[in-house]
Amino acid sequence: MNEQRRDVLDLLAEGKITATEADQLITALERDQPPVASSSDTRPRGRAKYLRVMVDTLDDGESGQINVRVPLQLLRAGVRLAAVLPPQVLERANAGLSKSGLPIDLTQLKPDELEALVEHLDELVVDVDQPDAKVRVFCE
Amino acid sequence: MPQLVTVRVTRVNRRPVRIWVPVLPVVLVLAPVLVLAVLAAAAACRVYRISVARALGSGWRVISALPGTQLDIGLGRSAVLVTIR
Repeated sequence: MNEQRRDVLDLLAEGKITATEADQLITALERDQPPVASSSDTRPRGRAKYLRVMVDTLDDGESGQINVRVPLQLLRAGVRLAAVLPPQVLERANAGLSKSGLPIDLTQLKPDELEALVEHLDELVVDVDQPDAKVRVFCE
Repeated sequence: MPQLVTVRVTRVNRRPVRIWVPVLPVVLVLAPVLVLAVLAAAAACRVYRISVARALGSGWRVISALPGTQLDIGLGRSAVLVTIR
């Protein structure tokens, strides 16, 4: 909600203007608004193809680098493969994840939701900057 | 489907080793083993009541999505690079 619209609603809530006046003001504000750009206009860059994970570490004066490039198509294929797995396998995986300190219930993840998650991964950027480690996750 | 897998290993005080693995010839050589592996996978699918066609289709999708994968791990002057094309 933009600021002007919020001001109008505040005035209405305070009883300083009537509902009709508020409606007229909001209509006038909408008329003055520039047309909303379509989603393709807001993201002119090309569709991301790869998920990159870059890790730079400094351990005992020795530098280490990990540079992984995974095609997003592979993640999608992995999601479809995970959907084929029977519930008992997923429960085993859940137990393993819990043991590792990741209490994620994989049985609750639906293939459609995972597909949407992978679709939106290209908007993901994770930057972790520490004195002895630097992690960067992004899509390109 | 992947065509070429490249592995490069760099170690301290040793010459770097680079290996190119052409996938198709290797698959052809290993075809008898792969047929057995597919049959074993199909049997496992039956045991766990998974659709064989769906499982094989998903597995094939994973294999065909592999090209473009790159893994590069370096520690000091040692490094391993695996590239799938």
